[in-house]
Amino acid sequence: MRKLTLTAALCASTVLTAQALAQEDLRIVEEPLELTIHMHWPRAQGYDENYAVEKAAREMTGIHLKDATAGRNSTDSIEAMNLLLAMGDMPDIVAGHLIQQPVNQYGPEGAFLPLNDLVKEHAPHIQAFWDSHPGLQEAISSYDGNYYYIPYLPDGEFGRAWYIRQDWLDKLGLEQPQNVDEYYEVLKAFREQDPNGNGLKDEIPYFARQWEDVNRLLNLWDARSSGSDTYHDFYVNDEGKVVHPYAQEAYRVGLKNIAQWYKEGLIDPEIFTRGSSSRDYLLSEDLGGSTHDWFASTSGYNQALADKIEGFNFIPFLPPESAGGVRMEEHRRIPIKPDGWAISYSNEYPVETIKYFDFWFTEEGRLLANFGVEGETWDMVDGEPVYKPEVLNSDSPVNSQMYLVGAQIQRGFLQDYRYEWQWTSEPARKGIELYEANDLLIDQFLGVALNEEEQAVYDKYWPSLRTYMLERQQAWILGSGDVEAEWDDYVSTLNKMGYEDVIEVMNSAYSRQYAG
Amino acid sequence: MINEPQLHGSKTEELIVEAGEALRRRKPSRMVRIGDHVKREWQLYLMLLPTILWLLIFLYKPMYGLQIAFKDYSIFRGVAGSPWIGLEHFQTLFGNDQFLRAIKNTVIISFYSLIFGFPMPIILALMFNEVLHQTFKKTAQTIVYLPHFISSVIIAGIVITAFSPSAGIVNTVLEWFGGESIYFLTRPEWFRPIFVGTGIWQEAGFQSIVYLAAIAGVSPTLYESAVVDGASRWQMMWKITLPSILPTIIIMLIIRIGNMLEVSFEMIILLYQPATYETADVVNTFIYRQGIQGGQYDLAAAAGLFNAVVAFVLVMTANTISKRYSRTSLW
Repeated sequence: MRKLTLTAALCASTVLTAQALAQEDLRIVEEPLELTIHMHWPRAQGYDENYAVEKAAREMTGIHLKDATAGRNSTDSIEAMNLLLAMGDMPDIVAGHLIQQPVNQYGPEGAFLPLNDLVKEHAPHIQAFWDSHPGLQEAISSYDGNYYYIPYLPDGEFGRAWYIRQDWLDKLGLEQPQNVDEYYEVLKAFREQDPNGNGLKDEIPYFARQWEDVNRLLNLWDARSSGSDTYHDFYVNDEGKVVHPYAQEAYRVGLKNIAQWYKEGLIDPEIFTRGSSSRDYLLSEDLGGSTHDWFASTSGYNQALADKIEGFNFIPFLPPESAGGVRMEEHRRIPIKPDGWAISYSNEYPVETIKYFDFWFTEEGRLLANFGVEGETWDMVDGEPVYKPEVLNSDSPVNSQMYLVGAQIQRGFLQDYRYEWQWTSEPARKGIELYEANDLLIDQFLGVALNEEEQAVYDKYWPSLRTYMLERQQAWILGSGDVEAEWDDYVSTLNKMGYEDVIEVMNSAYSRQYAG
Repeated sequence: MINEPQLHGSKTEELIVEAGEALRRRKPSRMVRIGDHVKREWQLYLMLLPTILWLLIFLYKPMYGLQIAFKDYSIFRGVAGSPWIGLEHFQTLFGNDQFLRAIKNTVIISFYSLIFGFPMPIILALMFNEVLHQTFKKTAQTIVYLPHFISSVIIAGIVITAFSPSAGIVNTVLEWFGGESIYFLTRPEWFRPIFVGTGIWQEAGFQSIVYLAAIAGVSPTLYESAVVDGASRWQMMWKITLPSILPTIIIMLIIRIGNMLEVSFEMIILLYQPATYETADVVNTFIYRQGIQGGQYDLAAAAGLFNAVVAFVLVMTANTISKRYSRTSLW
């Protein structure tokens, strides 16, 4: 941060010289160099050469990216990547959404260049980032120990939070629930005491946009629902072993209680079919009481529904203390995304390319990648990048505006949380501060890179195991099965289906990857 | 061919040509005959060409890729570059209870669709044929055709809403009659009826067009003489209409049996839940989850190949049986 302020101060005081100096420093090639890029990501299926950010980067570095994206007619990035690989004719840079798995699988086969040595020799800023964040480089490595892409590295910690209708609590004379028993009482009151005042018991105490988030309730009984921001993921237990949450004893207890809550109508009875519009529907119809969802987008309803529902106040509250006395927020932003960019085997300028990747980790590159072009979308105010008022007050969200100029897109870059904070609404900011003040976060499982043999074992057993686990889970929640009665059968079926084999390969990969 | 213009002029010359053709038909090689035939009927062959190209490009060429069912396939190495591993994928599949369950579900769902879904368009066509009021007939036909043109995603949305326990029409009606509301889409025992019913609702109307066309082809003289003989409309339907369209019905049945295992899996994906996998998971959804989502294209190809082999056996059997007992067959 100090370095940034220094650069900023320099820029502010002697604009011209500083910029001239900076440009000289950042220039990678004397003669303009063109590189082709495949970039497939959810917002756009391609890389726009007219991005303001691309133009600025071209000025500074001399490298010009030309779009060569495959699979533009599909919005599925994995499909596009498969198409690209199957065509065999690879562009210089392969970038975008969900590239980690393919680059780690096909990198060792020769499709992508290993970056370890390239970065060490030619990319001091990226190397400095790895050095200051131990464990991350290992996390993105493939099974051969090399890493093949520079990831998009999100900033900020909190993703989802527990939300509750504070105005309903006030109306019923209740306090914010501090532990699992109080939470139960509150949901029960929502169910029975008609807080929306329409004379009907139509309130839905707990709901979730993705049915999988019903599993977050497992945390209230000291069980886990996932180890990362992906649902149903493995996690590392207290003994440092990779295990799956749905094969633990605590899960049995947690699920029994969830089933009970479901039976009592505390959980949305239609949680499995209501789908992603449930938050919209249940909040705007004044029916939903509590959920577990993203900070920013969920708090946005306070503004959107202010006119429609009198006194509407849906705010984050601290995760209720579990039965075992632990307060934790299981979901957090993952520090490394599987998105970013890689160098393909057909690239004739690997050194220039890695220098170009490094450019985005310099202060200038980072500001450009996060906020867009200085003077166009933001200004430096007291050493802080601040968006122009027309950007903040526009009808379209800031992130959408950024995507249009080529900032915040899925290249390999380090996100700057100041970008998001500037347009986070007041209730969400308060919530984030509340969560920050309490030590709620737990370590994330960042995944392992399986080698070919391990992958074969995983592929053979895991998809079926996962299917079986989810089948039983839903059956138990819906009450068509009884977790207590079936537990022993369940565990022995898991073992019969190869659970132990999967755990074994996960752990051998884990210890290989994170041992050093 | 050189003196073609004169040919039309005289009858004798026409006869000579015919005789010449009869001669040629006996002696020259097959190739020449085919060549001649093509020259004469080139318009027909031209019309056939797009279909043949389509078959070659989209159905025959991809068969080359079927070999990945026996290979350890890597997209980057390509079909030719991936190593052979024999029947390993098939062993994996048949060692998997969920695949066996998927086969069972595929057969059961297909069978239900066949016995409940196949007669519906025929019944509909017969009913439309009996309707005398033209406006009513046209309106009713349009209404039953309509669901065919709606995307599966929307159909699934309608079904989910209709069977919703809180707001769905089905449960509302159930509650009027004092029943208890049921969360249909999470109950394994309800999945098949809902799925098969949806399929019938969506397609029966459109499929009835074939039978309506066949009915239109029945000679009116048959009905006229039946009326003279004093036959009732019911008798005419049973004794004239149905037997006349029987060949069409049988052809449609054989085609249907050939496509039997092609359960419309996009609809299943939209409607199923882990809670209903037990009755809903079919081979294609299994392939989708295991293969496409999990990136195991080779395993998916093996499952798909197996599905195709079973379908091939089914259609061959149906065709042979039909040939033997009704003398109607596809080939």
